[in-house]
Amino acid sequence: MQAASTYSRDRCVTGIHGLDEILRGGIPYGSTVLASGTCGSGKTTLAMEFLVRGALAGEACAHFTATEPSVKLLENIRQYAFFDMNMVDTGLINVFDMDVLYSWLGLDKSTFDLDDVHALIKSITDIVNTIGVTRLVIDSVTTLCYKIKSEQLIRDFLFTLGKKLATLGCTTILISEITSATENAHWSSFGVEEAIADGIVVMGDVERMGHLLRFLQVVKMRGTSHSRAKHAIELTPLGVMLTPMLKWGSQNETAHWGA
Amino acid sequence: MIMFELDQRIAEQLSTISLNSSVQVRCGNSNAFMVTASTMLPLMQMFEMGGVYITASRGAVEIIQAFESIGVDVSNIQFIDLVSSGILGGTDVEYSNIHFVDSPIMLESVLLRTLYILRTTSSARNFVFIDSVNALAIYNEDRMLAEYLHTFINTFRQREVLSIILNVPDQTPPLVLSNLDLYCTDLVDRGQVVIH
Repeated sequence: MQAASTYSRDRCVTGIHGLDEILRGGIPYGSTVLASGTCGSGKTTLAMEFLVRGALAGEACAHFTATEPSVKLLENIRQYAFFDMNMVDTGLINVFDMDVLYSWLGLDKSTFDLDDVHALIKSITDIVNTIGVTRLVIDSVTTLCYKIKSEQLIRDFLFTLGKKLATLGCTTILISEITSATENAHWSSFGVEEAIADGIVVMGDVERMGHLLRFLQVVKMRGTSHSRAKHAIELTPLGVMLTPMLKWGSQNETAHWGA
Repeated sequence: MIMFELDQRIAEQLSTISLNSSVQVRCGNSNAFMVTASTMLPLMQMFEMGGVYITASRGAVEIIQAFESIGVDVSNIQFIDLVSSGILGGTDVEYSNIHFVDSPIMLESVLLRTLYILRTTSSARNFVFIDSVNALAIYNEDRMLAEYLHTFINTFRQREVLSIILNVPDQTPPLVLSNLDLYCTDLVDRGQVVIH
């Protein structure tokens, strides 16, 4: 009897130690992945390493920063041995300040309407298309969505952006800031991001006898089977490292509420 | 320099094992350092191995100085110190080969830090040395510690890194001890100390 052939989607190999094993080879190409986490859980470092690993493989990458100025972001990331400023200088990693982008687009206002949202989507996808970006990070989508007052408009923005980026072959990480990574928590600030995203990676802390342990858990990833176990993470100079969390450890752990 | 007599039979026993072995080393309260030194020296000097020494029993500085006092240079060995972060000013040390983890309860962090160090080391053949299971048992619940040692041993066996697990049997929980008996490939038993 002939074995049934199985279809497998091409993967964007993240290059992050342990994450590709969890994802059985990487993120399906063109996916939009929500990296949700509490403050200090390692979201920005994970996302930056995702770009660096892509750049090392010769891919063009882009990072849109809305939570801190690009200068500060790059200064913070330089402590990691995996990062090389030459990647920025040679245009492999392109860092954009959202504030600057808003100014270019004339979006110097507190709330965005439908036209503003579409202008923003066009601007981002134009940059992706022009540079040939295959890995994109928006840090954070929460900060960006605060300017969009309607839940329907946020849904429309994320759905349209994700669809256009997928068409361009760009794998995207949207960073989402949440205040709790417990079982009962939402994985996003507005509730709609988690439904639109192809994948959700949750990052947070558990408190074990007074000490905080960082964890990462892939809750959802369309197009691939994956582990759903909680993994402990360390932010080392070589990058993020993961190992499964001890099962019996949960007896001594309490969920930690972020800021 | 202090004159020190090593247990040569440990070196003989270590010469028969392979890199993917996991060795349970049992010692008593009074011979712990002699057994430790008799295990470490052949690994460093005879087999020219690099490695990671994880200490939960004493601060790494104290262990390094104990080795220095018998004329042994351990500057090529990386230490993960689980003790000193709990002591005010304990991490203010002059040795660059000491890495600190906040607490012995952060077992996953210890594993990841060990893996990180092994990724950065230049030595082709390495060991990881846990000093000691009974010290880890002070802070960690039996089942969690047993689970951890199971994971630890298998992680390094898979990577062909020799694991050495030191314990004082009568201070180690029975569940953990029986798991070590099951998962370790070799036993160096110096746990029964005869005091004359």
